[in-house]
Amino acid sequence: MPAVQETIDRVRKIDVDQYKYGFETEIAMDKAPKGLSEEIIRFISAKKDEPDWMLEWRLEAYRRWLTLEEPTWARVEYPKIDFQDIHYYAAPKSTPGPTSLEDVDPELLKTYAKLGIPLKEQEILAGVQKSAANDDDAPDGEGDNVYKSGRVAVDAVFDSVSVVTTFKKELAAAGVIFCSISEAIREHPELVRKYLASVVPISDNFYATLNSAVFTDGSFVYVPKGVRCPMELSTYFRINEKGTGQFERTLIIAEEGAYVSYLEGCTAPQRDENQLHAAVVELIALDDAEIKYSTVQNWYPGDSDGKGGIYNFVTKRGDCRGDRSKISWTQVETGSAITWKYPSCILRGDDSQGEFYSIAVSNGYQQIDSGTKMIHLGKNTRSRIISKGIAAGFSQNTYRGQVSAHRKATNARNFTNCDSLLIGDQCGAHTVPYMEAKNSTAKFEHEATTSKISDDQKFYVMQRGIPEEEAIALIVNGFVKDVIQELPMEFAVEAQKLIGISLEGSVG
Amino acid sequence: MNMRVQPQRTLAETALIDAYGERQSHLPGDGAVMLKRDGAIEAIKHGLPTRRVESWHYTDLRRLLTSIPAFAPAGAAKAVEPIVDGSLVLSVLNGVSSATASKVDGVTVERLSDKLTDGSFAPALDLYGTDDAIGALNAAFVADGYLVDIAAGVTIEKPVELQNMLTGGQSHVRLPVRVGAGAKATIVERQVGAGDGLASSVSQLTIGDDAEVTWVIVQEQPDTATHLAQFKAHLGANSKLSLFFMNIGGRLVRQEINVLTKGEGCDFQLRGINLLAGDTHTDVTMVLDHAVPNTTSTEIVRNVVTGKAHGVFQGRINVHQHAQKTDANMACNTLLLSDDGEFSTKPELEIFADDVVCGHGATVTEIDHNHLFYLMARGIDEKTARGLLVKAFVAAVIEELEDEQIVNALELKLDDWFVAHG
Repeated sequence: MPAVQETIDRVRKIDVDQYKYGFETEIAMDKAPKGLSEEIIRFISAKKDEPDWMLEWRLEAYRRWLTLEEPTWARVEYPKIDFQDIHYYAAPKSTPGPTSLEDVDPELLKTYAKLGIPLKEQEILAGVQKSAANDDDAPDGEGDNVYKSGRVAVDAVFDSVSVVTTFKKELAAAGVIFCSISEAIREHPELVRKYLASVVPISDNFYATLNSAVFTDGSFVYVPKGVRCPMELSTYFRINEKGTGQFERTLIIAEEGAYVSYLEGCTAPQRDENQLHAAVVELIALDDAEIKYSTVQNWYPGDSDGKGGIYNFVTKRGDCRGDRSKISWTQVETGSAITWKYPSCILRGDDSQGEFYSIAVSNGYQQIDSGTKMIHLGKNTRSRIISKGIAAGFSQNTYRGQVSAHRKATNARNFTNCDSLLIGDQCGAHTVPYMEAKNSTAKFEHEATTSKISDDQKFYVMQRGIPEEEAIALIVNGFVKDVIQELPMEFAVEAQKLIGISLEGSVG
Repeated sequence: MNMRVQPQRTLAETALIDAYGERQSHLPGDGAVMLKRDGAIEAIKHGLPTRRVESWHYTDLRRLLTSIPAFAPAGAAKAVEPIVDGSLVLSVLNGVSSATASKVDGVTVERLSDKLTDGSFAPALDLYGTDDAIGALNAAFVADGYLVDIAAGVTIEKPVELQNMLTGGQSHVRLPVRVGAGAKATIVERQVGAGDGLASSVSQLTIGDDAEVTWVIVQEQPDTATHLAQFKAHLGANSKLSLFFMNIGGRLVRQEINVLTKGEGCDFQLRGINLLAGDTHTDVTMVLDHAVPNTTSTEIVRNVVTGKAHGVFQGRINVHQHAQKTDANMACNTLLLSDDGEFSTKPELEIFADDVVCGHGATVTEIDHNHLFYLMARGIDEKTARGLLVKAFVAAVIEELEDEQIVNALELKLDDWFVAHG
C-alpha cells in the first residue's frame, strides 16, 4: 500500500533541499595541516595540553588503526575516503578551547543563536524566548525548541573544540561534572582513565580506532551516586570549517542510583565536499542507574543531486554494568549523506534494561544503515527495539540490528518491532535483523509487520462520529506513541512533527 | 575485528584443489564444461567463505569444513523404498545414476553424465556470485545426476522420487527438472547416506506458466556427514511452487534455497522443519526474489534445537523495483530446548517497490509454560506434555502438505526422531 499524502508532505518538508542550517560562520581558524601521522597526533595532544598517558594512548590507537581495513559490510556506497586529505584539528583562533561565556567570540555566540541554541545563561534563565538581537535570522520554527526552555545545560562544540559549557556551577552544586572531554582529561584524569575505552575498546572497529587516535573534543558527564541530574544536559556539535573532519568523544558515567538525560544535536554547513564525522560515545550505568540518551541528527545531507554531505560513521555503546541499570537510546535521524551507526546496549548487570527507539528519514541520495545491538549477558535482562524507517527520493534506508543472549543470560527477553515505509519507487528499505540465542530460557520476538490499520479499529473510532481521516490519525498516533513517550518533553518541535509521521502503508 | 589476515589454505581447501588435479581427467565433459569446472575451482582457490562473507555469517565454512574424505565410497549404496508407493524412483548411488529411462508417460529422464559429456549442460554450471561456494564445489566435481523433463499439460499422479544415496566418500550431483506449462507434478528429493561422506547436490527447477509443483526435500544424512545442497527455482507466470524441506541429520548441513519469480501472478510457498540434535550445525539460507509485479509468497520455518546443535536460518526477500503489489510474508519460529544449543536467525527484507505488503517475524523461545500447565493440569506428566507440544509445533507445518501418504511418512520420521532425541 502506498504512503498517505500527509506523510509525503511531512517528509517533503525535510527534504535535502530544505536544509536550514547550511550557513557558514566566517571566523579565523587555527588548523593542523592536512594529513594523519604520529606528528599530527602529537600536535593535537599538545594543543589540548594533555598528559603523557593520553598521548601514548592515542599513539597506540593510531598504530592499531594502520593495521585495520575499512569495513564494507554496511549497505552504503561511497568513494574511498582519503584520510590524508583531512584537517584533523580546527579551532577558532579567538576561542581555542573551553572558556567562560564572557570570553567566547561573539561571532560564535551568534552562530549558535542562529541555530537556535542560546548560550547566555542569564537570558535562558530569564526565560527570554526571543532575544531580538539574536532571533532576527533564526530559521523558522526554531523559536521554541528544547534549548530555549531554560532547563538545559549545553556544551557547545565547534569543529575540534568545545567553546563553552553552560550551567557548570549549578551542576557542580549537585555534584554533577559536565565539561568538555579535553577538560576532563586534565581535571579528572582518574575518572577518564578508569572509564575511557571501557565500553568501546580502542580497536573496536576501524572508525572507533581512528577516533581514539585523533579525537579532539566532546562531552564528559559524571553523575555521582544517588544524584538525579537537576537539568537536561546537551551537547551541540557544529562542523564549520571546510576540509575538516570532526572526531568527537563522549563519555557519560552514572554512578549507583544516578539518573541523567542527555541530548545531542548536530548540524553543518552546506558544501559540495563530503566531510567525515567519526564519533565514539560511551555510556556506563552502574547499579540502579539510568541514562537516557537522545539524538537529533541533522548533519548536512548533501544536495538534491547527492553532492556533498556528512559521512556520519559513529560508534555508540552503552554498558549496563550494574544490576537493575537502564540505558535508553532515542534517535531521530534526518541528516547526513551517509549514516553508519548502531547505538548498542551491553546488558551485563542482572535485571538490566536496554531500549532503542529510532526514527530514520532519508531523502535525496541519503544512505542510512543504522540500528542497534542488544547483547544480553546478565540474568533477567530485558531489551526493546522500536525502529521506524522512511525512505523517499533516491535514498536507501537500512535497519540492521542484533539481539543476542549468551549462555548465562537466563530469562533474557527481547521485543523488536521495525517498520519501514517507502515513498516512491526509486528508493529502498531494508531490514537486516540478526538474532542469536544461546540460552533456552531466552525469549526473543521480532516482527516487522505492515502497520495497516485494521478495519475493526477504524470502525470502532468512526462509529463514535469521528471522520475517517481523523480516525486514521488517531490510531496512527497511538501507534507511534511508543517512541514519543521516550523523548524529553521539550524536544524540538521539528522532531515532534517527524514522529507524528504516519507509517500507514509501511512495507514491513 | 577487521585485522588484515593473510589467507593460508586450510587442509580442506588444499584437499579439494589436489583432488581436482587428480580427478579432472576422469570427470565427464570437455571443452565448455571443462572451462566451467576450471572457473569453479579457481573460486575455491580464493578460499572457502568465512563469517565475514555476509551470506555465510553464521556458517564459517572455512573453519567448519575440517576434512575432505577420499572419493571412494565405503560400500555399495542401494536404493531405498520410496515415500509414496508407486513413485517413479530415480536413484543416484554414490554419485552414479542407475536408472536409464522413465516408465511414466509425459516424463522424460536423461542421465546427467551424458549431458556433461556432450557439453550441452555447460551453461547451467555458471556460479551465482562470489559467495556461491556450494555451486563452485559442485560445478568443479559434478559427475552425474538426472535431467527430468515433465511435458506441458500433463498431470503426474504419483510423485517422482529423486534419491541421492551416499555411503561415505564424496558425491557431487545435479538434479535439473523442467516442468512444462500447465503441468502438475510432485517431486520428492531424498538425501540419504551412511558413513562420513561429503555430498554436494544442486537441484535446478524451472516451472512453466500455469504449472503447479510440490517439491519435498527430506534430508536424513548420518550425523557424521557433510551435506551441502542448493535448490534453485524459476517460476513462470501464474505458476505455483510449494516447497517443503525437513532436515533431520548431518553434521554440517547447508541447504540453500533460491527462488525467482519470473512471471506475473505466481505463488511460492515454503514450509520447513529443522530437527536438530547432537552437535550438528544446520544452516538453511533462502533468497527469494520477487522480480515481477503481482506475486505472492509465504515462508514458514520451524526449528527444534536440542543437545549441542547450532541451527541457522537466513531468509532474504528481495522485492525488485517493478515488483509492485508483491505480498510476501516470512516467519521463523524456534524452540530452543537445551542450554548448550544455539539458534541464529537473520530474516531480511530488501524492498525497492513502494506498493507492496511484506512482513517477517522471528521468535526464539522455550516451550510456553501456560501450555505446559494446561496439559499437566489434566494429569499428563511433564515429559509427555513437552513431547506433545513440541510435536504439535512442527507437525502443523507438515499437515499443510496435501498428499496424505507424504504427510504420514513424514510424521513417522518425526516420531522416530522424538523417540531418539525427545
